[in-house]
Amino acid sequence: MAKSLEIRLRGISATFQHESRGDITAVKDLDLIIQPGEFLTLLGASGCGKTTTLRMIAGFQQPSAGEILFDGANVTNVPANRRDIGFVFQNYALFPHLSVFENVAYGLRIKRQNAAKIDAGVEQGLRQVGLQGLGGRMISELSGGQQQRVALARAIAIKPRVLLFDEPLSNLDAKLRVEMRSEISRLQEELAITTVYVTHDQEEAMAISDRIAIMNEGRIVQIGKAEELYRKPVSRFVAGFLGNANLVRGTALAADGGRVTLDIVGHRWTVATDATVTIGSVVDAVVRPEAISLSRSDGALPGIVEGRVFLGEKAEYRIRTGDLELLVVQWNPTAGELLAAGDTCSVNLPAAGVQLLV
Amino acid sequence: MTGVNVSAQPMAPHPRSFARAAGLFAIWLLLVAFIVYPLVMLLLRAFLADGGFTLDALFAALKSTSNLRALRNSLLLAFLVGAAGTLVGLAFALALDRANLGPRTARLIDGLTFLPLISPPFTTSIAFVFSFGPRGLITYDLLGIKNSQMYGLTSTFAAETLTYFPIAYLALRPMLASISSNFEEASFSLGGSRWHAFRTVTIPLIIPALANAFLLLFGCSLADFATPLILAGSDFSVLPTEAYLQITGMFDLRSGAILSLLLLVPAGLVFYAQERVVAGRSYVTVTGKASASARRDSLSTGAKVALLTFCVLTVALILYFYALLFWASIVQAFGANQTLTLDHYRVIFTEGLPAIKDTLIVAIIGMPLGGLYGIIVGYLIGRTKFVGRRAMEVVSMLNYALPGTIVGIAYLLAFNDKPLALTGTATILIACYVFRYSPTGIRTTIALLQQIDKSMEEASASLGASNLVTFRRVMLPLILPAFFAGLGVVFIRSMTAISATIFLVSIDWTLITVKILENMTEVALGPAAAFSVFVIAVVVAVTGLLNVALRRMTAPSLRISRIGT
Repeated sequence: MAKSLEIRLRGISATFQHESRGDITAVKDLDLIIQPGEFLTLLGASGCGKTTTLRMIAGFQQPSAGEILFDGANVTNVPANRRDIGFVFQNYALFPHLSVFENVAYGLRIKRQNAAKIDAGVEQGLRQVGLQGLGGRMISELSGGQQQRVALARAIAIKPRVLLFDEPLSNLDAKLRVEMRSEISRLQEELAITTVYVTHDQEEAMAISDRIAIMNEGRIVQIGKAEELYRKPVSRFVAGFLGNANLVRGTALAADGGRVTLDIVGHRWTVATDATVTIGSVVDAVVRPEAISLSRSDGALPGIVEGRVFLGEKAEYRIRTGDLELLVVQWNPTAGELLAAGDTCSVNLPAAGVQLLV
Repeated sequence: MTGVNVSAQPMAPHPRSFARAAGLFAIWLLLVAFIVYPLVMLLLRAFLADGGFTLDALFAALKSTSNLRALRNSLLLAFLVGAAGTLVGLAFALALDRANLGPRTARLIDGLTFLPLISPPFTTSIAFVFSFGPRGLITYDLLGIKNSQMYGLTSTFAAETLTYFPIAYLALRPMLASISSNFEEASFSLGGSRWHAFRTVTIPLIIPALANAFLLLFGCSLADFATPLILAGSDFSVLPTEAYLQITGMFDLRSGAILSLLLLVPAGLVFYAQERVVAGRSYVTVTGKASASARRDSLSTGAKVALLTFCVLTVALILYFYALLFWASIVQAFGANQTLTLDHYRVIFTEGLPAIKDTLIVAIIGMPLGGLYGIIVGYLIGRTKFVGRRAMEVVSMLNYALPGTIVGIAYLLAFNDKPLALTGTATILIACYVFRYSPTGIRTTIALLQQIDKSMEEASASLGASNLVTFRRVMLPLILPAFFAGLGVVFIRSMTAISATIFLVSIDWTLITVKILENMTEVALGPAAAFSVFVIAVVVAVTGLLNVALRRMTAPSLRISRIGT
């Protein structure tokens, strides 16, 4: 197998002309290095520039500024058909006039491989996605999940040096989505092809990626492993995008050796942090709903249950404590632990459950 | 990302943009030569006198009571045909979409409504004469009326309605099918009766389709030349026949030009109204996707029976007319001597052979040219961006939208002299058919392209295909149905149309349809019938072959309903 490839984006921008709104810059001066063999996900809301970035890597669209390097070679002006990429589209983009076999064979035929090699390549591709024996079917005879697999087989059959995914699972139902994402993940590990994956689904991104780049308004706001992004978000935006978060604002009262005491609407909370915080400064903090625990006994921080949603394995509460409304998740609640709207409770918070945004 | 243009163009290598520029230039050259130039010549002839622009001729034409009567008659006829044809079409659409007929019955009725669409334009008229004329089967033989007065508004109206209602049916049925049964069921669930649901849900939802059908038929009737020529008689003159008589009878090209332009006003209004009505309507809903809907129960038994009876009677009438036509072609003298004979066929294959040969040559040369022209222009308009794209779309549709009489007279005026002296050649006939009937192929191509996502081309590129390979291996197969549709329409019309080409035939190059007309005026009914039967047989055979080829060669998901419509 060929050595995996490194992708480097250097200061790339993409400008669109909109009919009524003039020029729109979808991607702004973006730098990104994707390691050889890495699975990197571009995560963001629609319109954040993630798909545009992916399409520029593919060569479907040319950046208005900046350059794209594959293993150090500048490919900015190389058209898509000579970049050696495999692209999986959101709508699959399978050729409706060709059979499953011919769809997967398409790229191999372009490479003018002989019949035996094409047969072997298609067979291997279909086996890798679990569709052996379906080569004779027409695309319209397949289910959505099967079509997705054909699209995947077609992309990997040409043994590309880069695999690109544009929200490939968004047309599948929830169960299939989970199944397919672990399959994509397994396949990518097996093939060790450098992969860029675009999604707006944070859970999908966390499940599948080596690293996640969170994008907003054409820029990467934070990049890192899922756990880093979750535990150490650099901004309210990241904290809010990855998982649920209570965003609170407080004043630093005291700081010593990795611990800061905050005054949050009259309550004192002690928080663990690596950062140096000036006493008296106002800081933002993130409190994960699942880090907070509730109990019926009296505690430092009394609260009132404003609303409750019971979801089986967990219960979600809206808790009011003073001027603060907090979202709290209670995992695997027993009948006795379950609170009802109007109940009073105490809110407990371990120091490690709060992250400062500094 | 809708409404957004990529300023950073997808990389197009230079050879391709050069080829595209050359293609664009060639297409514009053709459009100017065969559409713009003739129309300009027509306008010049009508409004240019003594070296200056004048409206005198127009005012003179508008003062003539006979012209005004022709205009009034044309509008009256078109209105009646539009209204009645839409109702008949609606009845067929309802019966076939909602009456839960067996698949075989449905296919049979559906197939028979197709017949008038592929027949020469006078087939119904000739059968009318056979049936209701002075020696007609019904009027003379059955009712014993000695001197039947069948010519006039009533028979013209009836024949045109019978000829054109299938167009309304074809426009209405997909619309009815695309209305989810949920809407009607919602109305039932709220306590409405079937009739109430039909009145308050179904009809309002198909009002745009009804308006569209009415306008289509209005335009067809307005432009129809053959039916009034045979059935209208001298007391009920309409504009296309008046213009024709001015030119061929009185050699007055100027008056003919002016009269044909009088047609332009209502025809233009209809075209405009139609564009407004269908604007913003998705083509995708018309591809038959929704036809696989669940069984519906939206018609009461009484309504079903009434609709079915009506449709069966109409279909029976059509069949009766065609049987009559066939019968007339194999008897000595229809109405007088009923001895079986093949004489009429002998006549058309000896004396009539030149016309048959000419027609087939024109149709066979025109067919691939029209098909190709259709997908090329359709692709340029539907998939590429260039300055003047919208203008190209409008110009390419002009000869199709204009009544044939206008196009015919314009060609006559334009190609009589240098620089393009084509009168009397096969080229002028082929050009007339290609530019007049390829817009169907253009529209089908554009509609298909709208269904083909841009990602299809990108997928091909990502798999290593060049632009040329992508076009050949992905785009071409996908727009092949449009190519076949273009082939079919150009062939059918080359075999059957007359309104424009009647001005363009010559001693060297004539057409079957013109021969049929001559036979009718010489009361040589037998050969006229034999010619008609021959044309119908050829058209049915060729469209059948094209449909088989289409089914074999194209993807099921992108299939268009059928050729020739």
